[in-house]
Amino acid sequence: MDSKINRRDFIKATTATTASVAALGAGITLTTYVNANENPVTNEKRWGMLVDTNRLTESDIDGMVTACQKENGWGNETHSTGDQKASWIKKIKVKDTATQRISNLALMCQHCEEPPCVDVCPTNASMKREDGIVLVDKHRCIGCRYCMMACPYDARSFVHEELTNQKEHMPRGKGTVEACTLCVHRVDKGEQPACVEAVDSDAVIFGDLLDVTSNIHQTLKRVQSTQIRADLNLNTGVRYSGI
Amino acid sequence: MNRFMVLLLSLMMTSVFAHANSEHTLGTQADSMKSSGKTYHQSSSMIRKMHPEFMNHKRDKTLRQGVRTEEYSLKGCVSCHASKKDQSNDYHAIDASEQFCSTCHQKVAISVDCFGCHRTTPAEGDK
Repeated sequence: MDSKINRRDFIKATTATTASVAALGAGITLTTYVNANENPVTNEKRWGMLVDTNRLTESDIDGMVTACQKENGWGNETHSTGDQKASWIKKIKVKDTATQRISNLALMCQHCEEPPCVDVCPTNASMKREDGIVLVDKHRCIGCRYCMMACPYDARSFVHEELTNQKEHMPRGKGTVEACTLCVHRVDKGEQPACVEAVDSDAVIFGDLLDVTSNIHQTLKRVQSTQIRADLNLNTGVRYSGI
Repeated sequence: MNRFMVLLLSLMMTSVFAHANSEHTLGTQADSMKSSGKTYHQSSSMIRKMHPEFMNHKRDKTLRQGVRTEEYSLKGCVSCHASKKDQSNDYHAIDASEQFCSTCHQKVAISVDCFGCHRTTPAEGDK
């Protein structure tokens, strides 16, 4: 057998192999993109929320808090006292000292683009998903609570007691930090966060900030809105109008 | 010496398999699946040995990348392998003594940390 390969045959063989590998690659890509949840989330989306404080009533905010508690199973800690109790979303009253105008806000994790909690975490437990949702990886959390110190919005809570009967989709346990997840388990299914659904009017809207056709993108383009502590340049995902 | 080793090894093997085959802890749904001849895992020896690696890999993908497939999700383990209490519709906690996880884990003295945070029974209602 002639063991020499001439140049032309070599090029032919290589081209054929490359072509078949490329074809196979294309096939794989086609099949894996069928179900969205099989693929990692990408930064083509950035989830955000817009709260219209002019239209959001106090009872709306209470409804949001209750919906969050019910969805994620927090708020019935029996051994925790006052400050120790979990609070993923809370009602805040702000008063303009000059005009005495009072606004009510629903305040939760603002899902910053540059989250200080992620910067300070020593174990990489505080993390930001590609689509902008800031989460605590409780598998890694050691409960040091640096993130709670770093958060300008006081959005995070620490679990002080052993818990049972958690929600199936929302594991929570003693010694870890937790916060609003923007109902990531619902968002991944294509649903809205529980608090957004709890408000009847569209005083709170949720969606993809980068999608030009989305309601939230259109509204943010039209109305004047603000980020709380915009001076910190964190570029929050949760925006407010009317304050 | 060799004879002694063989004896020792066979004793160890019997005790391990005797334990792994104790079917009353397989779980309500897994039991009915098995009796109807269906299999979920490709190989039970593989899942016995490798489930920590599979689940560690899967949990990172789920939490950090939003990949929410059923395979190797802890939710999936619990929903099949939790056992119903006698004469009631409630489930035993899967990490309770004599239940699916603890039969082996107690034997090899490795604690299961999953259920410090995760729910130990299948969720009632929505599935």
